[in-house]
Amino acid sequence: MRPLVSGCGRLYRRVARAFPEEFRAVCGDGLEQLGPDIAPLVWQQRGVVGLVGLFFDLAVHLPYEYLSSLIGKLKEVTMSGDVFEGTWKARIDDSQWDTGNPTPQQACVRFEATDTGYLMVAYGIVDGQAVAERPQTISTDGRRRPVLDLGGRPIPGVPAGAVSFCSRPDPQTLQLGTEADGKMLGAGTFQVSADGKTLTATNEGTGLRGPFKVAIVFERVVPDPYVPQG
Amino acid sequence: MAKKSPDAFLPLKSNWFHILLCLVEVEQHGYGIMQNVLERSGGKVRLWPATLYGSLKRLIQAGLIAETGDRPAPEFDDARRRYYKLTPLGRRVLDLESERLKDLVRILDLRRRQEARP
Repeated sequence: MRPLVSGCGRLYRRVARAFPEEFRAVCGDGLEQLGPDIAPLVWQQRGVVGLVGLFFDLAVHLPYEYLSSLIGKLKEVTMSGDVFEGTWKARIDDSQWDTGNPTPQQACVRFEATDTGYLMVAYGIVDGQAVAERPQTISTDGRRRPVLDLGGRPIPGVPAGAVSFCSRPDPQTLQLGTEADGKMLGAGTFQVSADGKTLTATNEGTGLRGPFKVAIVFERVVPDPYVPQG
Repeated sequence: MAKKSPDAFLPLKSNWFHILLCLVEVEQHGYGIMQNVLERSGGKVRLWPATLYGSLKRLIQAGLIAETGDRPAPEFDDARRRYYKLTPLGRRVLDLESERLKDLVRILDLRRRQEARP
């Protein structure tokens, strides 16, 4: 019966790979490993009934996970929330990156709406290493505020006295800038497309390593991985 | 997005309760959780793989558990495996569910004692 069990293992792995991308993004390949791993044990303990149970479980959950994923996407689409809020993933090849720094293999930005604007977190993979930028609060009232971390402390590398500001000329656009001693260090925009699916970020200025200019195109991650689904 | 309060998860789904219980003392991978639940329940509760991973996914999304980057010693580690741990919210929810179940048992015991009185 060994060929039957190993055949079941292979079939299980193949079906497990058909689970939705969203499921596999969270669970990795755990399902496709675990099923074949326990198939011999199930066979030993419960015989054919056990193998039937193993596949029944898979067969029930496959459409369920697709349905759950679809519901999540529908929720995102019909959400009348803020156009910026959510997680955005960069289209690496469609973006213009700072030539002074290595191009990331992956880059994401997340906007969380707050009472005064947003909390923005950027993270990604550079040179194979996970990297994350310091979370940043964005107040959209146009007032100049010291550039400080979330705990109100100065940020290493940011010139003393630096201030940042942000305004919202229209619901789809944020205009940001940073200056120190009256001199502009950087300015840019975040602009969400009319259909709400694309976010374009531009930033230009002079950093610690000299002038920089970036234009990054992001697409909305649907469903949002940070929002519990169903 | 507003976070759910721990009370909002009660009553906890049976599978969720078993999984959270497994993670109280030690971080576990999927196979470990499955075996632990089976042993703890005396073979009565078997979490089949798709049920288990479906529940793990929802627990992660609800913020009750998280994948941990900590790995066991290399001699005990299997690089393919992902390990999961309870989050503070998950621990709080488990505590509240345990209290809820204890209360139910207390009520049941009280009723039985009342019925047993002549």
